[in-house]
Amino acid sequence: MASSRRPLPVADVGAALKAQFGDAVSDVADVGGHAVVTVSPDRYRELVTVLRDDPEFDCDYLDFLSATDYPPAGELEIALHVYSIAHNHHVRVKVRIPRDSPSLPSIHDLYPGANWHERETWELFGVVFEGHPHLVKLVLPEPFEGHPLRKDFELMSRVAKPWPGVPEGEEVEEE
Amino acid sequence: MGVIDKVQVPQPMKFILNWGRRYSLWIMNFGLACCAIEFIAASTSKHDFIRVGVIPFAHGPRQADLLLVAGTVTDKMSPALKRVYDQMPEPKYVISFGSCSNCGGPYWDSYSVTKGVDQFMPVDVYVPGCPPRPEALLHGIIRLQEKIAQEDIREKWSGQLSTPPAGR
Repeated sequence: MASSRRPLPVADVGAALKAQFGDAVSDVADVGGHAVVTVSPDRYRELVTVLRDDPEFDCDYLDFLSATDYPPAGELEIALHVYSIAHNHHVRVKVRIPRDSPSLPSIHDLYPGANWHERETWELFGVVFEGHPHLVKLVLPEPFEGHPLRKDFELMSRVAKPWPGVPEGEEVEEE
Repeated sequence: MGVIDKVQVPQPMKFILNWGRRYSLWIMNFGLACCAIEFIAASTSKHDFIRVGVIPFAHGPRQADLLLVAGTVTDKMSPALKRVYDQMPEPKYVISFGSCSNCGGPYWDSYSVTKGVDQFMPVDVYVPGCPPRPEALLHGIIRLQEKIAQEDIREKWSGQLSTPPAGR
């Protein structure tokens, strides 16, 4: 097993995926030795299938799936991190979807571990994962309304008492 | 509880009964976060709350006299905590240990954290700190024991105290 262990360089990951998916892969970046691949939503599931099944990638372990909210761009960014135990390399897949109608095909059948991640991303960000078998609340209490990790989520305590600090990103650097 | 909740107990008897109760507090630990570590430190040999009369640990809420809420209570967890409290027999006492269970603490603006356990159950003693040191817990326990010493048993055992629980 050890002899077949062969981490793919980021450039090779990018080249192989670009060759297969063309313009659907809009960006490949090297972040700390991990390949970060940005893909269009319509070919997301296909790309994840390739990452899992292609023996060159062989990404058999799902590390995490989550999202980030970008209100100025009107987009949510889904981040899926997969890892190959056999080859010891990481690939992060990013998908940009509109935040007013966010939906993405579910990958729970490719990676069973994605089931809870998708449920959590659904309740915290409101991303609908099509084909998910059990899209109900996981960590939030049942009567909870809204998607709390969206930037425009109203925090009731802050309505009653304003945030005493400086909003994130607007700090004045002290000299 | 028989004769005690029917007649006014004479003062010497009341003193002895309260003296016995205050130094025999079976404790139920509800540890949820880093405060639970400080609680454990208070229970071990260096600080040792057994020497002030707190007995670790009740085998379940139904054998406990004192509930110690140590840590961050979330809205999802609070029904479970309420259930533990409801299962405890009267007379029962609650210590809220640490900023989170007192008022939400550093999570005062969070979407998920309960802003103080006193929203759904009475609290006898609040121990401030983030997390409080074991000495602070010992101080809180002694304050609770002072409170128990002053109590009217008839009122407390009926579960209907005429005076509201003491503040911070």
